[in-house]
Amino acid sequence: MTDILLRQYARMRCHRGGLPDTVCRYVKGMGTGPASRASLQTARFVVFDTETTGFDLQNDRVISIGAVALEGSAITIADSFEVLVRQPGVGQKESVSVHGLLKKDIASGVSERDGVTSFLDYIGNSILVAQHASFDVAMLNRLLWELFRIRLFNGVVDTASLAKRLEKGPYHNLAHKAGEYRLDHLCQRYGIRLHDRHTSAGDAYLTAQLLQRLLAKGRTAGITTVGSLLMQ
Amino acid sequence: MEMPMPSNTIVERVAADLRKYPPFDTLGADLLEDLASSITVSYHDDGEIIFSKGDALKASAFMVMKGAVRLFDTIDGEEVLVDMCDEGDIFGVRALVGGTNYLLCAQVAEESLVYDIPVEKIKRLIAADNGVSNFFAGEFAKSLQEMERTLTSAFSQRHQRFSQQSYSSFLEHETLEVQPVTSVMTCPPDITIREAAKIMADCNIGSILVASPANHPLGIITDTDLRKKVVAMAGAVNERPVNEIMSSPVYTITGGKTVADMVMLMVKTKLRHFCITEDGTPGSPIAGMISEHDIITSEGNNPAVIMKEIMSAEGMEQLKIERDKAETLLGVYLGQNVAVHFITSIMTEINDAIIVRSIRMALDAMEAEGMKRPSVPFCWLSLGSEGRREQLLRTDQDNAIIYRDAPPEESESCHQFYLELGRRVTGMLEGAGFVRCPAEVMASNPQWCQPLSEWKRYFHQWIATPEPKAVMHSTIFFDFRPVDGDASLAGELKKGIFAEMEKGRGFLEFFAKNALQNPPPLGFFRNFLVEKSRDHANEFDIKSRAMMPLADAARVLAYELRIPDFLSTVERFQKIAVLDPPLKDLALEAASAYDFLIRLRAENGLEQVSSGRYIKPESLNKLDRQMLRNVFSTIGHIQQTLNMRFQLDYIRD
Repeated sequence: MTDILLRQYARMRCHRGGLPDTVCRYVKGMGTGPASRASLQTARFVVFDTETTGFDLQNDRVISIGAVALEGSAITIADSFEVLVRQPGVGQKESVSVHGLLKKDIASGVSERDGVTSFLDYIGNSILVAQHASFDVAMLNRLLWELFRIRLFNGVVDTASLAKRLEKGPYHNLAHKAGEYRLDHLCQRYGIRLHDRHTSAGDAYLTAQLLQRLLAKGRTAGITTVGSLLMQ
Repeated sequence: MEMPMPSNTIVERVAADLRKYPPFDTLGADLLEDLASSITVSYHDDGEIIFSKGDALKASAFMVMKGAVRLFDTIDGEEVLVDMCDEGDIFGVRALVGGTNYLLCAQVAEESLVYDIPVEKIKRLIAADNGVSNFFAGEFAKSLQEMERTLTSAFSQRHQRFSQQSYSSFLEHETLEVQPVTSVMTCPPDITIREAAKIMADCNIGSILVASPANHPLGIITDTDLRKKVVAMAGAVNERPVNEIMSSPVYTITGGKTVADMVMLMVKTKLRHFCITEDGTPGSPIAGMISEHDIITSEGNNPAVIMKEIMSAEGMEQLKIERDKAETLLGVYLGQNVAVHFITSIMTEINDAIIVRSIRMALDAMEAEGMKRPSVPFCWLSLGSEGRREQLLRTDQDNAIIYRDAPPEESESCHQFYLELGRRVTGMLEGAGFVRCPAEVMASNPQWCQPLSEWKRYFHQWIATPEPKAVMHSTIFFDFRPVDGDASLAGELKKGIFAEMEKGRGFLEFFAKNALQNPPPLGFFRNFLVEKSRDHANEFDIKSRAMMPLADAARVLAYELRIPDFLSTVERFQKIAVLDPPLKDLALEAASAYDFLIRLRAENGLEQVSSGRYIKPESLNKLDRQMLRNVFSTIGHIQQTLNMRFQLDYIRD
């Protein structure tokens, strides 16, 4: 319900010219999102990953977003996305070195505002997919809330949950072995060659390949429509 | 929605995957990234059909990145596996030859990650990049563009091959320095053409540099200039100054170039003469000259020296030493990617020289022993692959003697004399490392040391009453070539054969049918691909499965078209392309296929110290496999052509 209210609120402000064009285009586009009955073969997925300065949803910041799109079940390399977000003062924290981003890279990035609006432009009304999606979505939502008082309205698929659902059944609730659904483990399990981990675009590309396999597996389990995938 | 710039990280990732396999492994970074960003990555489950026979062509070709895809045809309701594609294999490229529908069905055999590559992109790459165009040149792209199989393209292909293999023993020769000729003959620009030609003739040189008073190179005059330009000029040209016909400017370099450098330069510039100046520019004094001849005969790899040694050899031990040297030379050439036709011609020259020298030594010895030389001349014939000038490695001896018919009273002594010659020469050749022919097709066999009339009778028999087995055994005789003695005997014999053939077409049909005896190799290769996962790889007989079918086909067509020259298989196909325009594309394709096979066999032979005839399929690299696959389909087309041309379906027994 809140989604619908927030969208109406955003549209109202768009009407009055209170939001940038890119954001308004995004909000407006959400009205024509893929129908529940639509076949997964025709849907556009955007598989993305964010790198952040840490895992604190309140205080850490997004430093890069990488994404690649799937149309039907094919990854379109030309339809990929990568942005570095400038975060002044960032560089000393540990996670930065983990991500392999140098301080100067981050300094050369775009502003949070430009980064996130170009991402909105790129995703449109596609279904968003990420590994452990709730964290990345929450990070972006906080940013969108600070900047525009909106959030992501897209349907979201978490590849870890989808894998669990396909492997153990939709109602499997028992705690799984720690790390069993981490990206590297899933890649290993599904025969995906690991490569440059720790960049958002690299992880997004791996996750996209994982999604391809999960969708193929899902097809045999009867998951063929957007609605059945999103469990709407 | 506007398309943003694609992610660099992801494009680079895809580029790194593409770079692993030919033809993309040699692409420049820019072209590769551009290609990578046009890729669509698709995943297919076991059993999924990517396209079916008869489907309209898709806009993409496919490269398997992981998994396996089987290509099959359906004939009378039965699936016939044509190919199995695994990592790095490209399929579905029919659009490149302008087809409209798929001829095969592509089904996923093992869950696969496939890169879909836009056909338009490949077409543009073929136009832009030599490596890619060579790769697709084989069978599928022939209608796209006429492939000029130049030394350059052969070279770049070879370069690719050798970068993947270790040829350390050859590579060290590449760093050998080419010794330039330092006493270069020069002339001023204003002397007459006649004078320049005289200097060249007097000094027995093939070229002369035209130099300024400061000894800076202005131009060069070569034999070719004299032949072509002077002849083409009107009027009393001999008195005109040389600067009117010289090639200018001269390609100048600095000294100290290695064999590898020079071969590269020669291939790149297509020039044969290079002038060394003090600072490498035309603006400094001449310091020396390197010609194609110097490059090919540079220190350590010098066929001229070997030839000289052979011609002055006193015994077969020395012949053997020289032949061993030639073998080393062969290895160096292969390592340096020298064109195959060039290598085969040098090896043929050397083998011929050994034969000629052996004959001289035998004749001298026989004379010294008081044997009287017959009044009629003889001609030494090489048969089979040596007859076709295709012997790179030492294989079996196949030779014969033909002599002019002697008066009846002399005929027996004449036969005995030449038979003795045959015995001695084949014995010496054996000593030099040429194995005796197991079927005794040698000049030491009384049957194959005969006067012209008898040889004509042999051919009459083979031609007039062809019998499958006899035809099969006689093919090597149809590849005879005069090596020493009176070559007109060989010419007369060939004329006799053509005259026999005029009497009826039946023989050519038998001949053609024989060319189809070697089963189509496609099946063999297919089995290899299918079986390899089960660790079941046989050795592959490249001679009988790939070379013989092509050589047989070339022979049939050469005799059908009455080509009088004594040619190699490659030359035969080239000649066929000229004489029979509808066959042009296929014949040229076959010529380059044969070229490839000769090299593959020689490399393999050197590596295993054998005749090179049997190769282990799993030892082939990706490019060779791809090339071999193209070769097989060319053989298939050639055999189909023979079948139709001679309507062999009607005489099948």
